[in-house]
Amino acid sequence: MIVKIQDFYSFLHRCQKDCLGGFKSVILPKKSQHSDDDLFFTTLSEDNDYFLDSYRTVDPIRMLFYFPREIVLPAKKSKCKRLIVGAKGCDLRALEVLDKALINDDFVDPIYNFWRENTYIISSDCMTISPSCHCNLLDGKPYAEEGFDLNLSRMDDSYYITVGSSKGEELLLLIKEHVTVSKVSPNNINSIKANRKLVEEKLRKQNKQYERTENYYDLRSVDIEKWIEASKSCIGCGGCTNICPTCYCMILNDETVTKDFVKVRSYDSCQLHGYARVAGGDTPRPKMYQRFRNRYLCKFDYMKSNFNLLGCTGCGRCIDTCPGKIEFRKVVQKMLELPRKRVSSSGMKIQESENV
Amino acid sequence: MYNANPYDVIPAVIYEIIEESPTIRTLRLRPESPISFKTGQFVELTIPNIGEGPFTPSSSHYITEEMDITIMKTGFVTEYVHKARVGDTVGLRGPYGKGYPIEEWKDKNILIMGGGVGMAPTRSLFLTLLHDIDDYNSITFLAGARAPKEVIYKQHIDEWRKHDKVNFLRAVDKIPEGERWSEEVCLITKLLEKIDIDPKDNPVIVCGPPVMMKFGTLDLLEYGYADKDIYLSMEKKMYCGFGQCRHCVMGKYYACKDGPVFTYDMIKNEENIWE
Repeated sequence: MIVKIQDFYSFLHRCQKDCLGGFKSVILPKKSQHSDDDLFFTTLSEDNDYFLDSYRTVDPIRMLFYFPREIVLPAKKSKCKRLIVGAKGCDLRALEVLDKALINDDFVDPIYNFWRENTYIISSDCMTISPSCHCNLLDGKPYAEEGFDLNLSRMDDSYYITVGSSKGEELLLLIKEHVTVSKVSPNNINSIKANRKLVEEKLRKQNKQYERTENYYDLRSVDIEKWIEASKSCIGCGGCTNICPTCYCMILNDETVTKDFVKVRSYDSCQLHGYARVAGGDTPRPKMYQRFRNRYLCKFDYMKSNFNLLGCTGCGRCIDTCPGKIEFRKVVQKMLELPRKRVSSSGMKIQESENV
Repeated sequence: MYNANPYDVIPAVIYEIIEESPTIRTLRLRPESPISFKTGQFVELTIPNIGEGPFTPSSSHYITEEMDITIMKTGFVTEYVHKARVGDTVGLRGPYGKGYPIEEWKDKNILIMGGGVGMAPTRSLFLTLLHDIDDYNSITFLAGARAPKEVIYKQHIDEWRKHDKVNFLRAVDKIPEGERWSEEVCLITKLLEKIDIDPKDNPVIVCGPPVMMKFGTLDLLEYGYADKDIYLSMEKKMYCGFGQCRHCVMGKYYACKDGPVFTYDMIKNEENIWE
């Protein structure tokens, strides 16, 4: 199906204004006031300054499902159906990780689960890339392959719509009810394919210098000295984890004041010194390079064993945000270079350098 | 499952407090509704408006209407645990984790090593085993503390030693001036020299400070225990208890939901196990 861009926006406005389909809000990427390169998810307003076809937003889509601070007990029950438009492939892959982490047999996060059920997602192909984008190094594509309800591919003044789920079918019916759609031609399909290829080629060129082996399990046995070297400019701010689409570490605080218990959860970061500290003050990773290393191992090793998915989708946000100018792609590439030192077979770690 | 809030807390009243040592006390709790658990599992204990921490009950899992939790004063939350009074209400969440696989230990000679406040979870195990003592061949308990005044559960020891199948040895690292002690003076691991258990296919359970766990494991390996028979209680930061917060991750395992008890065999090649 094809819909004119103008018509599509008028549909979005009606969703929010007239509660079409029961939607209370429409959220989509908007340019920052400070920089043309930065997009942020914002609630739809009248000014139409939105960019669905650019690369990913600064804020990961996770932040719309799993908030920085949230009262989890007692859990609030709201009735709000949302539509997110302009989600990108990298973020939808990250939601797959979060789905496994937060909705599983051992545990269901009631709030995350609520937002997942009550949010409809319309993704859109990336027509441009940011210098830090590297989904292609993680077998990703600059367009969503799954995880969306509807997907938009830009063609001149229209969008080509693909359905990705039963929620998407429902949404398409709603669109057809309110705006004119036309049938797709083979020519349209060819031009979309050509567009996608073009962006993929750009990505390949941009990241050629960062190509690496995919033996991520080897990261465990990388010589500690290499981690020390790589983490030299890390100041341990935790920016990379706060902006990562798959990080979901949290702390649970008790804020009970009456006889009813109140629990509040907030983001935490494994890059912070106090992260894994136990009572008495001991922490398993007192040194910065140990915490730095933990993040890479978590993404490429621990999450892989926990969820059978990598914890990195190549969105590149950690590169953009790092005040120490740490180039994530380069670190991974460097770590996977030979030679490596093995962990001793007894499981006791090789003595680590103490003068850091 | 979708309706239950995993963060839900059961209020529990403190009906008695036992001062075990200058820094260790046992809270005796009566939860609003009974809490069933398997020995070795843990709960999150909330001090209202202060915080929450993971603790393993030290009472038998056959008792669900009341729960004993032995806690050392060592950090922020535990400082407030030590300020709590009889009649106060605290909160309990759980139980979490896997617990000890006691059903696999029928007819075995069981060795338990508890160091310092590490005796707390192992007391729950010990009392649970005592309940079905006919099912087991013998129970040997090695208890260690730094000094006589830090030895906990003193009031129960005579009663525990009455059982034919129980061998209970205690040691302190040293006897400071003014303190008295008539039992062993050595590191807990040295007590291994005083016992005679065939290590083949018999389980040994270790709980104590990290340094004792590490060197205890090495000594047990030397004694002849197999990796798969050494059960270790891992001390990690566990905020949530069900694998969400990730603070307790040790490689592919979560100390909370896959543990907190692991065999050495499971974790020997994982990250951060002794720290």
